Amino acid sequence: MNDHGDDVQPELPGRARRRLRSSRLIQYLLLQAVIAVAGVAVLLQSLPGPPAQYQVTAFQLTEAGAERPVTLPYFSPLRNAMNDPPRFQGHFVRPAGETSQAWSVFLPRFTNGVEVTVNDVVILDSRRDPAANRPDRNTPAIAVIPASVLRDGDNAISIRLFIWGPISGFLDRIWVGPDEALRPTYNLRTLVFVTLPVVFSSWQAILAVILGIMWVMRRHEPAYGVLAAAMAVGVGQAFLQTPMGETPFSRLNVILISSAPIESALVLVFALLLSGWKWQRYAWIIFIPGIALALAGLFGNQALVRALFLILAVPMVGISLLIMAVVTARSALQRQNVASFLLGCAVTIMLTCWIVDLLSVFQMMPNRIFTARLSYSAMLVAIGAGLTWRFARALNQVDGFAGRLVTQVREAEEKLKASFAREEERARAAALARERTRLMRDLHDGLGGQLVSIVALSERGNGSAGIGDAARAALKDLRLVIDSMDDIGGDLMLALGSWRERAMAQLRPHDIALDWRAVTAQGLPVHPELRPWHVIQIVRLLDEAVTNAVKHAEARRITVRIETLAGADGVERGCITVEDDGKGFEIASDGGAAGAAKTARGLRNMRSRAARCGAELELSSCAQGTRKGTRVRLTLPHRFPDSDGG
Amino acid sequence: MNSLSDGPRAEAITVVLVEDDAPTLWRLQDALAKAGYQVRAAGTLAEARACLAQGAPKVLLTDLQLPDGHGVDLIRETRQRFPDTEIMVISILGDEESVISAITVGATGYLLKDAFPTDIAATVRDLVAGHSPISASIARFIVRRTQSTPEPPPGPVLNTAKLTPREIDILWGIAKGFSYAEIASHLGLSRQTVPGHIKSIYRKLEVHTRGEAVFEAVQQGLIKL
Repeated sequence: MNDHGDDVQPELPGRARRRLRSSRLIQYLLLQAVIAVAGVAVLLQSLPGPPAQYQVTAFQLTEAGAERPVTLPYFSPLRNAMNDPPRFQGHFVRPAGETSQAWSVFLPRFTNGVEVTVNDVVILDSRRDPAANRPDRNTPAIAVIPASVLRDGDNAISIRLFIWGPISGFLDRIWVGPDEALRPTYNLRTLVFVTLPVVFSSWQAILAVILGIMWVMRRHEPAYGVLAAAMAVGVGQAFLQTPMGETPFSRLNVILISSAPIESALVLVFALLLSGWKWQRYAWIIFIPGIALALAGLFGNQALVRALFLILAVPMVGISLLIMAVVTARSALQRQNVASFLLGCAVTIMLTCWIVDLLSVFQMMPNRIFTARLSYSAMLVAIGAGLTWRFARALNQVDGFAGRLVTQVREAEEKLKASFAREEERARAAALARERTRLMRDLHDGLGGQLVSIVALSERGNGSAGIGDAARAALKDLRLVIDSMDDIGGDLMLALGSWRERAMAQLRPHDIALDWRAVTAQGLPVHPELRPWHVIQIVRLLDEAVTNAVKHAEARRITVRIETLAGADGVERGCITVEDDGKGFEIASDGGAAGAAKTARGLRNMRSRAARCGAELELSSCAQGTRKGTRVRLTLPHRFPDSDGG
Repeated sequence: MNSLSDGPRAEAITVVLVEDDAPTLWRLQDALAKAGYQVRAAGTLAEARACLAQGAPKVLLTDLQLPDGHGVDLIRETRQRFPDTEIMVISILGDEESVISAITVGATGYLLKDAFPTDIAATVRDLVAGHSPISASIARFIVRRTQSTPEPPPGPVLNTAKLTPREIDILWGIAKGFSYAEIASHLGLSRQTVPGHIKSIYRKLEVHTRGEAVFEAVQQGLIKL
């Protein structure tokens, strides 16, 4: 079972991951399909028109010398025939009672240019309007018919349709009627197809500036620079005028026609860079259509440019959109990236519009409203939203980083404080050691030598043993004082090590054995709060115990036990026991010795020393039996008191 | 002088004793003479050099503060001239300043001036037998010097870089008052090897080659190359 489980288990996460990934892909594709369907549904909605009674659809078309009746809307084949444009001739009736109203001719859509004549008077030539000259802009036209031209009853209207490509000519239904009936529709179309694109182009200009600044400040993210360039090209395309006629200046302007493939190539590069792709040298081919078109504009004639536009620019836009759709879908799915997701949706909208436009160009749609350029605004919105999202996320990251930094700085500060305290402690210890060294030198040169001299002299003469003992005791105490000043780092064992040597030297002449037993391996617990005066008290107390055993107990052996005891409260406490096998004594009710006054004073001293260190002292003595002798048991406090408790 | 009266054990053991304080000199001399050592006493550096000129002693015991110089010079000279002589410094307090400075020039132990006569004799006997005594406070001092600190603590400079971790463990044991037997059992050693380790520690602390002495002198700016 286990073996089988081991084999299967590594697969499970992979399978689950794959399932999760495919379900995400399906969700994404479904959403894009919904967006595309919604887009098509919106595009199929025809814009509201003026009242049907003013519509004029029946015309007599004169084209290439032939004359035939046609019904608008009419698609005219692409001919380079500026001098012999198709001519539509029709009639409309103005009722006699409406003379007070101004009448207008309203042309919602035409490619590329129209000249409208009413009763042989030209009232409109769209070629003078640069915006109207762009086939991709769906610019409507309206012209008020001068009252002097208009007649009651039947009126003749003639429209010449100028076609200069790159797409075939088109003339939508036209309306002739009271200006107030036609004007609202015209205004709606102007708003949608003229004003709105200007607003978006302004937005694009702002984006170009923002992205440009971003790229200048963050050179390591070329995606922003590429997108800024794309935006700048788009803005140039939108706002630069395209004059008609062949002049050297217009020849330069022809380059503008290459803006669509160049802009789409730049946006494609941006999308690729955003998805983590690295720039490759071969990627320059993306720009070949745009550059070829620009060169054709510079060196070829307009007919060539227009032919090339259909071959190069339109497919280039479509291919770019397709690649972007794939790339952004991958990026949105794999990285769960909101910016890529928004971009993907925008690409879907644009792709839908592009396909519909293409169908329209090939006359497979009933009208000719180009929406690809307009749908580009979806892309601009997505870019703006994506940028804002990235900016907000970066700000959040900065906040989080700042928060972490504050925590780290606080931690570092605390560490620094601790290390400063350690440093101070070390400096204090060093000062103490220096002081000790100085004191020792002074004592060594003076007092110590004199005491030794006294010892030597008292040993030579007779009956001066008292001096010798006193001097010897003075020397011993001197060594104790000096020793206790040494920095032992809170380890009392280091002080006891020296004390052992002194005690052994003291006991050897009396032929008393010192049995030293460190019961627990590390001896006593370390007390960082241990100060020299604690050490002196403890060592003097132990000295007192040993001296008592030597002088009064007639002991043969002294045992020193050193151990660490775990108390009932779980706190470890050091314990030092000095035991002798001497004759012992009776302990009085007040805790002192019942016998000699000297012993009593000694015991009182020991108790007071223990109390000052916060230690517990236990005395027990037995005069006879197997447990004969005195036992001094010193239990050290868990923490030595800061101030002198005595 | 007392000589050759205590039997064959101490027959060949000659001790040069250098101490300027007369009573202390008598005391040490008596203690050693009673134990059967052949003692040559000197009160000054010059007298000590004269004694050494008579031949290599087995043991040199010397005070550090002498009227006409410092005992460290005498120890260094003796170590160079007579590598087999055991050298001990006589100290009042057994303080690290005097003991360590003696160790770095070749001493292998120290003797307290007020030690009991029997202890004095026993210490010299141990030294001759190859045991170098080391006190808890000296051991503590040496161990402390092995711990690297940014600012060297006060006191004599000591090169502890050559000590092995085992030797440092032994010094810790001594500093904490453990006996050789206890240290040996803690560290898994034979008890007899502990004195040998201590001797080795002393030797390592000694600045004993001519090259090193020159190096030290250059370091201290005494010699300009």
